[in-house]
Amino acid sequence: MEPLIRLESVAMLYGDNGTSAAALRGITLSIEKGEYVGITGESGAGKSTLLTILGGLQVPTSGSVRFDGVDARSLTQDQLADLRRESIGFVFQAYNLLPYLTARENVMVPMSPVRMGSGEKEEKANALLASVGLSGKEHRLPSELSGGECQRVAIARALVHDPSVLLADEPTGNLDTASGEQILDLFSEWNARGKTVLMVTHNPANLARATRSLRLRDGQVEEDRALRFLPAGPAAV
Amino acid sequence: MNIRKLAWKNLLRRKSRALFTGLGIFLGIGTFVALASLTGQMRQAVQDKLDRFGANILVVPRTDELSLGFGDISLGGTQVARAKLTMEDEKAIRSIPLKERLRLVVPFFLTAADASGKDIVWMGMPAQEIPSARPWWKASGSMKLGKGEVLLGSEAAARLDMGPGGTVTSGGRTFRVAGALAPTGEKEDGMVISGIDDVQALARKPGAVTFYEVAALCKDCPVEDIVTQIGGALPGARVSAIRQVVESRKAAVDQFRRLGLGVSAIVLAIGGLMVFVTVMGSVQERTREIGVLRAVGFRRKAILSLLLWETGWISLISSVTGASIGIAAAILVAPLFGMARTGAALPPAILGVAIGMALGLLGAVPPARKAAALSPTAAIRSL
Ligand SMILES: Nc1ncnc2c1ncn2[C@@H]1O[C@H](COP(=O)(O)OP(=O)(O)OP(=O)(O)O)[C@@H](O)[C@H]1O
Ligand SMILES: [Mg+2]
Repeated sequence: MEPLIRLESVAMLYGDNGTSAAALRGITLSIEKGEYVGITGESGAGKSTLLTILGGLQVPTSGSVRFDGVDARSLTQDQLADLRRESIGFVFQAYNLLPYLTARENVMVPMSPVRMGSGEKEEKANALLASVGLSGKEHRLPSELSGGECQRVAIARALVHDPSVLLADEPTGNLDTASGEQILDLFSEWNARGKTVLMVTHNPANLARATRSLRLRDGQVEEDRALRFLPAGPAAV
Repeated sequence: MNIRKLAWKNLLRRKSRALFTGLGIFLGIGTFVALASLTGQMRQAVQDKLDRFGANILVVPRTDELSLGFGDISLGGTQVARAKLTMEDEKAIRSIPLKERLRLVVPFFLTAADASGKDIVWMGMPAQEIPSARPWWKASGSMKLGKGEVLLGSEAAARLDMGPGGTVTSGGRTFRVAGALAPTGEKEDGMVISGIDDVQALARKPGAVTFYEVAALCKDCPVEDIVTQIGGALPGARVSAIRQVVESRKAAVDQFRRLGLGVSAIVLAIGGLMVFVTVMGSVQERTREIGVLRAVGFRRKAILSLLLWETGWISLISSVTGASIGIAAAILVAPLFGMARTGAALPPAILGVAIGMALGLLGAVPPARKAAALSPTAAIRSL
């Protein structure tokens, strides 16, 4: 069976006029359905870059990326956008909520280009906010929410289209320990339902719930090991 | 939540920026609509005048300027009629080669005379020619003038405090007031109108004519030729086509109109540029937000339409308010140009809104395309 995401000899070069820097150099790995991968590494190791490629935000300079067996290079920009909308959810360190929208409106943003009754959209957003413990705060603006609450709104937004993969870049980086724990609880809960989580983190403690640890160094995989076994099958390749 | 609403919410967030974005369009459309409807009205007014002058050739006695001067220094002058017109001249006018083209030849005789103790100008004209020579007159009472009857211009009626059925005395005679005219905006408002023989008799100048109005039969008839031929038939008269006078006014209005449109075009071009600059700035400011939208699955087209909706809302609002203010300004200013009419303001307003929308969207297309081409990775680049 095809892995969920497959990278082969992926390299990423930034800058095109002479001063090009390699952010990734020859990464080969597979992500299986249901994994919870913690990605660590020093600053500048290429973690965020790897995440953008795994999430179909950009296509690597060389090497191949396959989503469910489909080569990313064969997809148009619009098809990549559709893939992100339907299969991938993003959570960012800086929440990236739209400050002029309420919590519920932020959750509805990914549904904006979709034809659907506004009542239906609102119900869906309310249910998602309830699932991250934010019932009653649907009409608050991000500025009226705590950092942890903002991040939970962002998670609700990422889950709108019921993606199969959740990508998170330092989701707890701006949060205190307690709020960070709540976020990690949500990830675990979601992973327990058989969904895939890929999380970049600086904090080794955050790896406690992951099934697999991936450590990068200078754009290469320094270490890739299973932390615990998935109920369904082997974690590491 | 859909893209249209998202655009609207974003505008509300930055009201002052939105205001500034729309300012140029607002001013441009305001100027355009105000000037377009004002000059439209002016044209209409001139055209009305042109149509109302059924008689489009005026025949007056030729006058010689007797200048009393010393070198270039003028000490004033006096006009002396070289030859007077008489009722006989009608025959001469009617005998020109282009005589079949003449619809009306109407003699007028003007004199200042006493009317119930007040000095008033009396205008005499053949009573039976009133309906064809002055079709726009409206009167309370009757417009049919019998012998010994007069019509009062609106101001004259007010001055004499007299209406239909009353009487006016002059030179020992008593005239019955047949009717009072509604205001026409012309000189006859202040006059007493009567049969030409009656007025000639009052002035003791039987057969005298102050001027002839000649109406040609068609719109594009050879007015120039008729003028020349009447001039030849009446060497003592000055013949001029009224149409020329009015047409030169029309040309002046047209020039003013072109100037106005030029000014609005410049303001509008600046308005379009303002949209371009502000939307470009907002795109640069919002790379991350746009990246987030791209990351959550907005296609490039969705980003494009988001920005076009934003500018569309701004353009719509600013051109509608601009057009309304423009119409209001035109209505307020119209009396200064001697116009009471306020019609014909809607077409320029509709055109203005369409131009404003088109311009706003045009100015927003390059920045919107730039936004759509932004990389979704901008979202993940943390601080
Ligand atoms: N858009 C870009 N243009 C040029 N160079 C870039 C760009 N993005 C990243 N880089 C470079 O690529 C390398 C990897 O960056 P990346 O952001 O993936 O690191 P990271 O592991 O996420 O670091 P951090 O922990 O600080 O977030 C770095 O040297 C960085 O300077
Ligand atoms: Mg990073």
